[in-house]
Amino acid sequence: MKLQTSLRALYALAVAGCIVAASVSMDGCVFKRDPRIRLTIWHQDRIDVRIVLQRQLDRFMQLHPEVRVEQLFKETEELRSGFIIAALAGQGPEIVYGPSDQVGPFEMMHIILPLEDIFSKEWLALIDPRGLTWYKGHLYQVADKLGNHLTLVYNKKLVPVPPTTEEELVRIGKSLTADLNGDGKIDRYGLTWNYTEPFFFIPFMTGFGGWIMDDAGRPTLNSRGTVDGLKFIKRLRDVERIIPNEADYNVADILFKDGNAGMIINGDWSWAGYQNAGLDIGVAPLPKITTTGLWCAPMVSPKGFSLNSNISGEKKTWALELVRFLMSPENQMESARELFTMPTNLQVQQSDFVQQNDIMRNSRLQIDRGRPLPVVPELRAIWDAMRPSYQAVLAGTMTPEQAAEEMQALALRRIKEMNE
Amino acid sequence: MHNQTFRQRVFLYLLVAPAFIVLFGVVIYPFFYNIVLSLSNMNLRHIRDWRIVGFDQYIKVFTEPSQPDFYVVFLKTVIWTAVNLFFHVLLGVFLALVLNQKEIRGKAIFRAILVLPWAVPQLIVALTWRGMFNYEYGSINLMLTQWLGLPGVQWLRQPITAFIAVIITNVWLGFPFMMVIALGALQSIPHDLYEAADIDGASWYHKLRHITIPLIQPVMVPAITLGTIWTFNNLNIVWLVSNAGEPSDQTHLMVSFVYKAAFNFYRYGYGAALSMVIFFILLAFSLTFMKKSHATQNVYS
Repeated sequence: MKLQTSLRALYALAVAGCIVAASVSMDGCVFKRDPRIRLTIWHQDRIDVRIVLQRQLDRFMQLHPEVRVEQLFKETEELRSGFIIAALAGQGPEIVYGPSDQVGPFEMMHIILPLEDIFSKEWLALIDPRGLTWYKGHLYQVADKLGNHLTLVYNKKLVPVPPTTEEELVRIGKSLTADLNGDGKIDRYGLTWNYTEPFFFIPFMTGFGGWIMDDAGRPTLNSRGTVDGLKFIKRLRDVERIIPNEADYNVADILFKDGNAGMIINGDWSWAGYQNAGLDIGVAPLPKITTTGLWCAPMVSPKGFSLNSNISGEKKTWALELVRFLMSPENQMESARELFTMPTNLQVQQSDFVQQNDIMRNSRLQIDRGRPLPVVPELRAIWDAMRPSYQAVLAGTMTPEQAAEEMQALALRRIKEMNE
Repeated sequence: MHNQTFRQRVFLYLLVAPAFIVLFGVVIYPFFYNIVLSLSNMNLRHIRDWRIVGFDQYIKVFTEPSQPDFYVVFLKTVIWTAVNLFFHVLLGVFLALVLNQKEIRGKAIFRAILVLPWAVPQLIVALTWRGMFNYEYGSINLMLTQWLGLPGVQWLRQPITAFIAVIITNVWLGFPFMMVIALGALQSIPHDLYEAADIDGASWYHKLRHITIPLIQPVMVPAITLGTIWTFNNLNIVWLVSNAGEPSDQTHLMVSFVYKAAFNFYRYGYGAALSMVIFFILLAFSLTFMKKSHATQNVYS
């Protein structure tokens, strides 16, 4: 009987505890009331970006003590699937931050808000139009960063002057590739990059005149550009032997950081890391293909803020205020200086730093030569269709011509499956 | 008196209620919701206006041409599970038998070292092994070429070697679990059984066959069943070591197939049907295995 009474008391205590825990939060063992408004941003940015973002959020919270903002990092895929699940259930973060290609699926599921009537025309006019992601006639994302683009990064110690054409790239690459200790193995490569991933193949595809889809969103993978781009990468690896036999992102990154590769094709997200690793790097636009006269054009994407369609009232007001704050010229300038990200604010784009800094100047040149990342959901199908055949070419089990044909056929099938 | 029994019963239900609510929320409801989804056309285009379409998604699972082919993926998953389980149990039980010997000194240290693969986060293990399988810089090829004078293997570029690479990784990762379970079972065997066998002049092999194996069986069968389910559904290792199915989507298992369908292509109905197929495969296996191995039978009877 005594035991039963004790259990009853314990049960009542547990229930009471749950109620208390639901209404207040513990902070340093002191019960403390929450700030009136809580906002959350989900993003997929790396650690150095998170540090800058946190500093900016702290400043915002100092200005507005009634608001608490939390940033939450999630891997790209986890962010997308997590946001879809949460938002469809009427939950999720107030703000979701990322590259523009997430707009397509989010719009189709009606889980982000159109923004064209929320932000004033005057305010939107301050932003580079490439930083505003419109889809099906509505604005769904406002970006504070432009780029997410690949460039040629070179170690100035090894490459005093970067190549401007593909033939120069081969020539410099060959002069750098060497067996330094005479053991019969190559110790230093001229060039490296994550060449098993189709995203990194795009500049070669475009350089040879190809592109992934037409204006109607239909895949255009079975093209001369795809075939010649594939042949060129095979040539770099198997004939000129200026790139490693096998390289994923990590291998390529380490080779370059250790000085075992003179050049790397990598995105704007990597530059600060290379500088922090003590490398004297230069950033150059990807070379021109002499046979076509076209520049290798990477995909260019804005990275920006979208608002969860479930928010309203005061939360919405504060979320907008926060986006305006994070998009301010001061904050964009801070990010540009520390992370070498290209600001979208037109005034900041004209600043001395952006105009005169060598990395920023070349980054901008590459952005201007790049091609916008399509925001349609079918892009998923395109990537997935490219990967197997592209890798089969690299493995020597398929010709580039067969691969281009297979990619196209698979992309069409995938799109059909997605849209059934 | 009757009133008191009723009150006691209500009180018991109250005690069980929180656990049941949690179980309902995280297991029962999602399971039945998944069944409903598997009968629906929910996908990117029909995320809010989805409807029940019967067994269409199940028919697609078995008949729709896919890249890679569903039946090839299924066969690979079976091979993956069987090979992994074979080595997990073989290595696990062997090491447990060795560690259970009285003569071994520093057992605790060996035990700690052998449990290490299990203790390291899977992400770290997978990415480390991926690096080790690199053709030019990986330690596996360095050992093959420099120590054994063999040619280097392009582990991650060819489908078969890539599949072997992921299996090696998972064998390394999985044997400690079986070892710990087997060791626990071995330590619970009464020593006088072995003494009696010694008096009867039984050999090492006979003691293993007639005492050790039958007495660790009730513990090992559920562990093998669990191991089968975990290995069959293991996404992390294959996904990370093969970099999401490389080369050319040739290292996919059924669970990564589901992941791609649901989260890359937003085909929620199809993904749910596929996951139900996996559920029934594992259910059939578990029931058959438990029955055939007499797992629920009293070992001393």
